[in-house]
Amino acid sequence: MNNSSLWIVLHKMRAPAIVIIVTYTISIIGLLLIDGMDDEGNPYKMSIFDAFYFITYTASTIGFGETPFAFTYSQKIWVTFCIYFTVIGWFYGVGALVSLLQNKMLIDEVSKLQFRWQVNSIKRKFIIILGFNYVTSEILKKVMQSDIRSVVIEQDENKANNLILENYTPTVPILVADARDQNSLFSAGIKNTNCKAVVSLFDDDELNLTVAVKSKLINKNVALAIKSSSSNHTENLEDINVDIIVNIFEIMAKELKMAINAPHLLKLEKWLYKIDKLSARVPKIPKGKYLICGYGRLGKHIYKVLKHEDVELSFIEIDEKKIKALNEEEKKVVIFANADDKKVQIMSDIRNTKAILAFTDNNTVNLSIIATAKKLNPEILTMAREENADDFSIFANADIDYLFIPSKITFNKTINALLNPLSDIFISSFVDQHEIWAQKLTRKLIETINDDPVVFELELNKYESPQVYKALLANIEVSLEIFATSLYNRNCQNNVIPLLLVRDGERFMLPDWNIKLKLEDRILFACDENAQSDMQYICENVYEFKYALTGEEKRLFRGFKNLFK
Amino acid sequence: MNLDKVIAGFFIILAMTINFGFFYGEMDSLETHSKYELFAAIIINVIATTLKLGDKTQIGSVLLATSLVADIQLISAALIWTVSEYAYTIDVEIASIIISLSGGALLANITSVALYVGETVRSKR
Repeated sequence: MNNSSLWIVLHKMRAPAIVIIVTYTISIIGLLLIDGMDDEGNPYKMSIFDAFYFITYTASTIGFGETPFAFTYSQKIWVTFCIYFTVIGWFYGVGALVSLLQNKMLIDEVSKLQFRWQVNSIKRKFIIILGFNYVTSEILKKVMQSDIRSVVIEQDENKANNLILENYTPTVPILVADARDQNSLFSAGIKNTNCKAVVSLFDDDELNLTVAVKSKLINKNVALAIKSSSSNHTENLEDINVDIIVNIFEIMAKELKMAINAPHLLKLEKWLYKIDKLSARVPKIPKGKYLICGYGRLGKHIYKVLKHEDVELSFIEIDEKKIKALNEEEKKVVIFANADDKKVQIMSDIRNTKAILAFTDNNTVNLSIIATAKKLNPEILTMAREENADDFSIFANADIDYLFIPSKITFNKTINALLNPLSDIFISSFVDQHEIWAQKLTRKLIETINDDPVVFELELNKYESPQVYKALLANIEVSLEIFATSLYNRNCQNNVIPLLLVRDGERFMLPDWNIKLKLEDRILFACDENAQSDMQYICENVYEFKYALTGEEKRLFRGFKNLFK
Repeated sequence: MNLDKVIAGFFIILAMTINFGFFYGEMDSLETHSKYELFAAIIINVIATTLKLGDKTQIGSVLLATSLVADIQLISAALIWTVSEYAYTIDVEIASIIISLSGGALLANITSVALYVGETVRSKR
């Protein structure tokens, strides 16, 4: 049985209940045995009902007096005894019940029950978020703006209380439980058809993998956003078809590569993440010698991504134990020393180094490395990694050229992949493009639309675009151009650029306007608000669709004629 | 030997035997049926019910159900007896209602004992 709270109450109330029954029975038997006397002085025996009635009101300390007749002394002696006896029995029972209500197990059971009710009452799309921290709370707020509900599972009671204090509206149900336990996933409604995704962004790779495997086995239709911090784990996650893999070190390394090779690509990515406008300044990163402090998971990814590029890399790592894990090739580029030491920096030729990358996992050390390097070489380009960033960043005041904040990157990547899956596919497809491609696209976007275009995703299905869907079902040829049509004048074009078309898993980057549409196509547009509203009208409104397709106004009259055919 | 099992078994079987003690006799007159025996049967039955509370197993739930049936029948027999004693007269009809109610309770108690014995036989410890 699922409802354990009732059983806990029943189980714990056994002893008090028996005490009450036994005290009642003894008292009643005593009253039945002892002779009483009626009004006229005749001997009289109490009936069972009289005795039960008397004990009932005496035991509960109500005390109506002596019924049916005044008691004799022998009865009074017994009743005195009974009063202590039964009242203590009652108090014991009531006390046991009160302490039971404060029982931790019972309270937990009741809150689990309440959680399940709350989850079942969600009638919209929702996602399950595992672990409540800065990143996930930001994700929660963001998805809430898009009218998607969230359910949180958190192990730490203090963090759970933080969520409760945030007072989100609509309520975010929270369960204090271990995310490893599949029962908590069940309670959080993973089998529910409304459940769209599970977000697991723990630092512990094993835990993330456990969650991923279990979630996929329980419900394979649910999308998973899982964090990974090594290539090995990323492969494991790919093997079980995880939809969104957030490997922040890989993303950071790729961003670094983009910043060096194709800064405009990075700018496009930032625009899609809604961090920057397209007109933002592109800092130039000089090529040459780079000094990277820290050779852990991030350092390894950077080495892997940048070793074939046109830059000279040298790493400084403080922990000498890591030497065992390095191969011959890596040993040539890694020095084991304290990067914060002035002498070490001078020795690694800091004066001729173009950029210093303070990428250790310690904020203070990173700041200190930057400060030392700047003193030795004022021209140097600085990049730093900031761990555990909250709303306020101390690094923002440190005048650093490039700041890498893992928690922000995790947030951007996850939220983009959850809410705008096509834009996420677009980003991952353009990572390897050239700078010229990026510059051209940026210029085109700014010229045709503006410096901060809206991103609009469309799927050609029954719900999102019923008119196009019907037309395609009827074998009417519709080309992509229809979405550029201005509804004010069919011969004019709206400010819109198609970025990506996905058809049966195949990706068409920057598709041509003449491409013929097919059912279930998914298209990503960059446009302004006017164009977006026109596209939505074309998709949903039968008159506007007809006008955009043929230039004719669909007439009501002809509609009637069709009806009577 | 498990003391809990001894106590539970004791009350479950005692509930049945006392119930039988009350039920045994003429079917249409209360002369051969003692009210004290009915009182004792109710008390023992209620105790047996409490002992079965909180057992989450399948057999535990069925045992609890049979016990609840016996309780309801015996308590309603006592209620009818009390009401008719004080507010009405006890005729043959009332007497036979009381006795047949306790007969129903006896059946429930027999089921309960049968299940209990069956479970004990199945248990390997």
